[in-house]
Amino acid sequence: MFEVRNIAFSYGAQPVLRDVSFVVSPGETVSIVGDNGAGKTTLLKILATLMTQDAGSIRVNGQDAVHYPLRYRSQLGYLQENPSLYEDMTVKGYLKYRAQLKGELDKRIRRRVGEAAEICHITDILMQPIRKLSFGLKKRVALADAMLLRPRVLLLDDVLAGLDRSMREAAGTIVSTVAAFSSVIVTGHEITDLVKWSTRILVLRNGVISATIPAAGMDAAATVSRVDQALRGGGL
Amino acid sequence: MSPVRVTFRRTVGMARGLYTTALALAGFLAAAAALLAFNLDAAEGSRVRLVPLWTVSVSPVLPLLSALLGMDVWSDERKTGRVELLLTAPVRERDLVLGKFLGVWAMSSGAVILAHLLSSAVLRLYAPTLLEGVSVFSFLPGVFALMLQGALWSAVAVAASACFRNAAASACATIAVLVAVPRALWCALMAWAPQGRPSFGEMPLDAHAFDLAAGAVSTAVLVTYAVLTVGALLFASKTIAALRCESRGASGLRFSTRFALVLSALLAVQLIALAYRLDVTLDVPIGGDGFRFSPRTRTVLASSQGSLTITAFMDRKDARFREVGHFLRALAAEAEAQCGLRIDLQHVDPTLDLGAASRLIGAGAEKDSLVFERDGRIECLRLADGYGERNCISLIERMTVPFQRSNVYWTTGHGEASFSDVGNEGVSRIARELEWSGYGNRTLDLADESGTVSNDCALVVIAGARNDFSEVEMNRLNAYLNGPGGKGMGGRLLVLLDSDQFTGMQSLLAKWEIRPMAKALAGVATQTGTDVIVRDFSADHAVSAPFAGQQVILERPVVFERLGGNGPRFSPLLGAGGACLAAAVESGEEVKDLAFRPTRIIAVGDSGFVRNWSLANDGNANRDFFLNCVKYLSGRDALTQSGAETDLLVSKMDRSDRARFVVVSAIALPFFVFVVMALAIRRRRSR
Repeated sequence: MFEVRNIAFSYGAQPVLRDVSFVVSPGETVSIVGDNGAGKTTLLKILATLMTQDAGSIRVNGQDAVHYPLRYRSQLGYLQENPSLYEDMTVKGYLKYRAQLKGELDKRIRRRVGEAAEICHITDILMQPIRKLSFGLKKRVALADAMLLRPRVLLLDDVLAGLDRSMREAAGTIVSTVAAFSSVIVTGHEITDLVKWSTRILVLRNGVISATIPAAGMDAAATVSRVDQALRGGGL
Repeated sequence: MSPVRVTFRRTVGMARGLYTTALALAGFLAAAAALLAFNLDAAEGSRVRLVPLWTVSVSPVLPLLSALLGMDVWSDERKTGRVELLLTAPVRERDLVLGKFLGVWAMSSGAVILAHLLSSAVLRLYAPTLLEGVSVFSFLPGVFALMLQGALWSAVAVAASACFRNAAASACATIAVLVAVPRALWCALMAWAPQGRPSFGEMPLDAHAFDLAAGAVSTAVLVTYAVLTVGALLFASKTIAALRCESRGASGLRFSTRFALVLSALLAVQLIALAYRLDVTLDVPIGGDGFRFSPRTRTVLASSQGSLTITAFMDRKDARFREVGHFLRALAAEAEAQCGLRIDLQHVDPTLDLGAASRLIGAGAEKDSLVFERDGRIECLRLADGYGERNCISLIERMTVPFQRSNVYWTTGHGEASFSDVGNEGVSRIARELEWSGYGNRTLDLADESGTVSNDCALVVIAGARNDFSEVEMNRLNAYLNGPGGKGMGGRLLVLLDSDQFTGMQSLLAKWEIRPMAKALAGVATQTGTDVIVRDFSADHAVSAPFAGQQVILERPVVFERLGGNGPRFSPLLGAGGACLAAAVESGEEVKDLAFRPTRIIAVGDSGFVRNWSLANDGNANRDFFLNCVKYLSGRDALTQSGAETDLLVSKMDRSDRARFVVVSAIALPFFVFVVMALAIRRRRSR
């Protein structure tokens, strides 16, 4: 269980997030949508411990991110908005390095890398240098890195940004697969795509979660319409 | 695998793929080699050991290499955003910092070892004498000293890199902290108090490297470097951790981080102060780089009996103290090995051992000197006059071996070098050495009314006369050389001729079948282009035989030729380019009549080789060759052995060797290393 309670954050005197709370259960995929500057990336960075919140708490299975940072981070997978990888490495070398850094045992690394590559459909480019990959493939490699050790919480920041349609569909498949063992939190602007995989949509507006829209088992078009309405500031 | 190891491998692996690493390494090797060549030139003939000299040649360049290797270990991660990947991994910041630090340190240490290997190889090629008796292990203290400094430089480079997103800014900050600021402060201190230089000693960073390489391990220095290294790593770790604390709500965390850093800095200052208060300096014996005493020293030590006390009357903090201690201990050990003289060593600190100091001063000893005591007799050797093997053994010889004082008469009145002239053109240094060896120095004015040579004259020296001798003077000189009645009890003459300044000596020398000629020599080894390095010593004559393997430097020497005839026995002593540059002649054959004393003349084709400016460099055998000439002429044949200092830094490289040394070590090899690394990087990138 991933719990976010009363998160508040500000840059200097400028408040960015106010009283943000939600819970994500295992197997659930929650999408956070909002306009530019709404605070989506900031929220995800706080959840990834890259920033420290002014107030509030974050817990995974009861373990607080501030008090037990290493245990918390060991259950976390994070994908940046613009993934930056080590260009001098091969895909396999990079994933192996990341697995080692995350503390995986040497004897399991090969299996982990193989699994992640299979899920993300990058098995055939494992031996290629990263600098030769397209942006979409790099994003897949970064996604494979994020889900490498089957984290309990997977944070995906703007996962669909810059991807073409086929890549977006592939990413959706991957996220759906990962959601089988993780609580997935995704941010993005591509509401139509996000609605397809999400169980819930959180609308972030002016630093506050203004609406929570269930998506699982709902009509996609209707859900998109409700999300659009919430983003425009209309009541639900 | 631990995160430290993983980060270490990534740091090294990433640096291996960068052209800047290859460039930095090649630049480091070139600069270190150039500095070594410069320092070798400056230290030629001094008592500096090779290993400390090599260490202080590499030491100033090492911060630059560390700055270049460490400049992007964090700044690049921050600039590209990869730092987020590191910070979201379940790893402590200190482990990441430690891994990156170890990577930079390992690379700089590898560069130091490579510099050592290349320097050794090139020295073996062009100056093999420098490596005689120096084993591979001799360099270990120097490598250790550089690695110790390299650890601090690497830690500072990593800390600076953690502060900046721009790698160039990081490198500039590192260089400012490690090189520019300390050396600027030092220069400012020296400019402010130039008279304080002797008491301040050398620039601390250079002095640390030198002392550690010389085997003087100070606990305070070790603690200081360790504390500063840990401090720099802590700073880097906290700087990275502070990246998470950019919000207003994290002000408490920011404050606690800064407070922890301030407390750590205070603790570090306390620890360093305590370390200096409790400082212990250990003299670690360095194998393979010990003293090698000359045959003359061994002979004197073996032929002397009884005991002698040598007291180092000097401040323990004096920069020369350890070097003097090393030498005296080696001398005492050599004496014990020769089963002759027993040497007891003492140290009296003029500021601490007041009773012993006042006794020595009362006995006429001076501060900063070595005091030799035997049977109530005291002789004092000032450190400023040189405390090496030759001077010490001369004093020991005077105190232990009975001798009769002989007088050396120096002609005057023709522009000759004077033994009372302490200027560059004088010969006061060699005259003082003659006194230490039991000779008295007297002037001889042949033009004087009573200008005959005295009976107590052991030999006459004409040292670079510039004006002609008058007929009267020549007659008196001839009379002295021929002896009473024209034969038997002949005189002894040492002539030092300068080119084009024969001053009437041709006619005198012609009688002894020597013809001096001003002749340009081609194809001879030279240091400056005008001098000649003489390495060809006649093995058939007692004067020159002991100098095999050594060198004498003559400035524009006169060449000697033997005139035909069956007169005096002619023996060439020094040669270069097929020409004879010094010769000895003796009247008649060896005779068994003890009443007969053959005339002996030695002519050397240069007077500059024993002038004070020339003897400032101990690296050649000029002094010993002159002393041997004097001893041979005065009849002390038994002591005519090589007294050359053997604990000196003598490369024996001539000008072309030096040029080749610089080209190979500072240009060709670094370029080769760069090309090899660049090809490897290109190959890796093209895969």
